[in-house]
Amino acid sequence: MSEPLNESPKAEELPTLGSAGVMLEGRYLPPPEDKDGKIWIRTSTRVEASADELYAIWRDVQSAPLWQEQITRVAKTGEATSHWVMQSGDKTIEWDSEVLADEPGHRIAWRSIDGESDNAGEVIFEVAPGGRGTMVTVLQEFRMGKLASAWETFVGRNPKQAVIENLRHFKAFAETGEIPRIQGQPHGGRGLIAGIKESMYSEKVPTPPALNRKAS
Amino acid sequence: MKALCWIGKSTVEVQTVDDPRILNPHDAIIKVTRTAICGSDLHLFNGFIPTMEEGDILGHEFMGIVEEVGKEVTNLKRGDRVVVPFTIACGRCGFCKKKIWSACDNTNPNAHLMEAAYGYSGSGLFGFSHMMGGYAGGQAQYVLSLSPILDH
Repeated sequence: MSEPLNESPKAEELPTLGSAGVMLEGRYLPPPEDKDGKIWIRTSTRVEASADELYAIWRDVQSAPLWQEQITRVAKTGEATSHWVMQSGDKTIEWDSEVLADEPGHRIAWRSIDGESDNAGEVIFEVAPGGRGTMVTVLQEFRMGKLASAWETFVGRNPKQAVIENLRHFKAFAETGEIPRIQGQPHGGRGLIAGIKESMYSEKVPTPPALNRKAS
Repeated sequence: MKALCWIGKSTVEVQTVDDPRILNPHDAIIKVTRTAICGSDLHLFNGFIPTMEEGDILGHEFMGIVEEVGKEVTNLKRGDRVVVPFTIACGRCGFCKKKIWSACDNTNPNAHLMEAAYGYSGSGLFGFSHMMGGYAGGQAQYVLSLSPILDH
């Protein structure tokens, strides 16, 4: 024993976990910084399914409302374009999206071209080592004002959190065919505070339906 | 139906609440015959667990008779007597495949709350605060239970 253990809990800068973690060399990467007026989010997860299957689910944009939150309808308008309709509370937002990169089983990149949402993103499917399925990494950027972002956070879901939650829903959808839900469950009388807290936990955002896509 | 609801610190009350209904294809409604009180229920009762809200139904140790099953349930039918474990597992994720049911990735709808507190989310739990799923518990006449998808 050379030296007594010198514990200093705050010795190193730990990245603030704002997302499902992405790891590099055994450490969590800090969340990407928002720059140039764009909100940036990166998140990843490991899904027990093959990269080709996951690519097929993600690329099928018309079934996005099954697993993405607050998306009402997506219509394919061309080989690489689609029209998206999103409903957040009473507000409806529509935009067109185009696929910039389409590598089957590996990567899809997209951006919005017209409409009320300015966003771009990428999803990368990598085979996870050890035969453990696929690592799915999602990067997304939004051009959204700070005020709009704060408002969204208050009434529904923080846009960064929405990307993380959509990836969670995607994982549940791909692995089990359904998404866990508690909306519609019995509960006792909720007082005023409990009602406000429910909104804060984003429990009022409708859980996507995930109509069962594969038999058990 | 009647259910035991948490009202506030050290206060619970039996209230009449809606009956549960099938929400997902792998759900089952259990008519509760016996339920136990666990030592960890005391933490909830005394308000030591954050994200407990007024109106949450308690109870994670219960048993009963299957009343109704969802469309995709194959291992249970109406009339089966079951004991339901604390944890809710999907059966298909990486952890469930290793039989680490309490770390299931796909059963906590409020996983972001648990990640903020613990760093990584565990599975959903019955009647154990919103951080751990917000599922209604078993100290009630009927419970909505979820059956895992297991490939035998």
